[in-house]
Amino acid sequence: MKTLVNVARYHLVDRTSYVWLPWAILAVSFLVNLCITSVLPSPQGDYTGGLVTIYIFLLICGALSMTRALPFGLMLGLSRRSYYLGTALLIVALGVVYGLALTVLQAVERATGGWGTGLHFFRVPWIMDGPWYQTWLTSFVLLVLFFLYGMWYGLVYRRWNVVGLVAFVAAQVLAALVVIVAVSTTNNWAATGHFFTTLTAPALTGVLAAVAAAMGLGGLTTIRRVTV
Amino acid sequence: MTPVISATALGRRYRDQAALEDVSLAVEPGTVTGLLGRNGAGKTTLMRIVAGQEFPTSGTIRVFGEAPAENEAVLRRMVFVREEQSYPDFRVSNAIEVASWFYPNWDRELAQQLLADFDIPPQRRIRKLSRGMRSAVGIVIGLAARAELTVFDEPYAGLDAVARQLFYDRLLADFAEHPRTVVLSTHLIDEVADLLEHVVMLDSGRVVLDAPADDVRGTAMTVSGPATAVEEFVAGRAVWHRQRLGARASVTVAGPLDFAAQARARALHLSLEPLSLQQLLVHASGNSADEKVSA
Amino acid sequence: MPLDEGTPLFVQIAEQLADDIVDGVLAEGARAPSTNELAAFYRINPATAAKGINLLVDEAVLEKRRGIGMFVAAGAREQLRAGRRKRFAEQYLDPMLAEAKRLGIDTDTLVSLIQGSGWQNGGDTP
Repeated sequence: MKTLVNVARYHLVDRTSYVWLPWAILAVSFLVNLCITSVLPSPQGDYTGGLVTIYIFLLICGALSMTRALPFGLMLGLSRRSYYLGTALLIVALGVVYGLALTVLQAVERATGGWGTGLHFFRVPWIMDGPWYQTWLTSFVLLVLFFLYGMWYGLVYRRWNVVGLVAFVAAQVLAALVVIVAVSTTNNWAATGHFFTTLTAPALTGVLAAVAAAMGLGGLTTIRRVTV
Repeated sequence: MTPVISATALGRRYRDQAALEDVSLAVEPGTVTGLLGRNGAGKTTLMRIVAGQEFPTSGTIRVFGEAPAENEAVLRRMVFVREEQSYPDFRVSNAIEVASWFYPNWDRELAQQLLADFDIPPQRRIRKLSRGMRSAVGIVIGLAARAELTVFDEPYAGLDAVARQLFYDRLLADFAEHPRTVVLSTHLIDEVADLLEHVVMLDSGRVVLDAPADDVRGTAMTVSGPATAVEEFVAGRAVWHRQRLGARASVTVAGPLDFAAQARARALHLSLEPLSLQQLLVHASGNSADEKVSA
Repeated sequence: MPLDEGTPLFVQIAEQLADDIVDGVLAEGARAPSTNELAAFYRINPATAAKGINLLVDEAVLEKRRGIGMFVAAGAREQLRAGRRKRFAEQYLDPMLAEAKRLGIDTDTLVSLIQGSGWQNGGDTP
């Protein structure tokens, strides 16, 4: 356990990437949006997807954790398993803390009526607009999910190089296409739409959590044969 | 005593190329072993397998009696300093600090002392260091870790002769005070010849020499002088190499020359010059090439 | 002091120490350099230095005092000199005579060369 904590500490030495930058970028995105809404307010409130910046950044961190930081990690006498689990521990911890911060910011936004300008930055309709515990959980799951997804890119690159990376992306595009074609040919768009409108936010969170868990376990097996 | 490293018929193939083939060796505890060979001989592959960073395709490898791959009990007791190590975007001080968390025998004072000895600015970002300085950082970590098994893979890329000598001196001094098992790969053989207790030489992925350094030294002598006298002297001995220039000859013969033989050589006005470790190993690798051709 | 390549290192280490004892630089009863000191000085592996010391211990030139270190044994100097005197003819005299013969220097000339060099009976070290 001490080893895993040390792995988390190891990543956090690069506080710029893991702490300052994600929040700085989020702050910039927020301020830009705030300026816009204060100058050009719209009657029903402004909805922006600016919150996604922090998730994208964590995705990048995930990729970096398996590329830039891995070789030295392995030099330090760590097994790949420990390295992976320690990194996962880090993101779980960050997910809890950052998720809480986002929840608090959401509460402030709600209390101030959208920062006095009707801005919906931290309140994402339907998925993050409910009670605080749900926001916290959903934020947490999304943060972990994006990071793990980024880790996968890093691992695929490490193990199968650029060719593998291309194949990885292609496979995902292909899978998406297959789903679209399947739904179209069976004329199920209406049914699909209906399914999603009846899906509750907690249920979706649960699905995403399951995806994250699967990704996590898959990554653990993938890293076992990675060489640096 | 159980060997620290034990390889049995170890092999590593990549598609159609064998980086290592049928490598069997044992490294005894508390010794300094030189792992020698040309570029591409398989030294790095062997060391990576020992460090658990690479996986063998055949045979077995045991470090401290266990397979090293993914085995933290083993990995914790060793440090592997590579030729080119990549670091995250750290300062030198970050890398040193992090290393202290993971190596049980880490010596902070030694690390600070070594940083000063090698003139490495601790607050500089590692990616901004020159190649030699980066190598020096690896050396500092390798030495300050005081790991039971310390493996260096040509760790002096970019280091000038003065810095290299500093490395050898510090290695020797710390090794004497805190004995451990050291494996050092190099192609600068003569620089480290006196540090080595044991010598293993690889050529094209195979072991061509595995002997105590003392046994290897003095294995061959070059006898030079008037051709007739030289030929008279070397009659009956295994000849490695012959060279003539007019009436003078220079012949390299195998086997140590005992006192009587040396005296006789002097009486015949012949000069004797022993082959350096480097020359001996060049010969050993040349031999294996010949064997392959004739086979 | 450079070490040559032909004789095994540990033998050279032993001979350097023996030289020091014979020359009186390392006195009888004095502490001999430790393995680590020798290793650092000659920049060689401590195991090699230890082998050299053990050679002298086997010849009873050095003696081990438990917990303190290696010391030059009493009578070591004379013992070494006696041994070297035996090898003197082989190591130094024969080559000199061979060279003299090569250059056509006869016995009388050789003797007067020796006397003329100012070399006293047994040299100036007692």
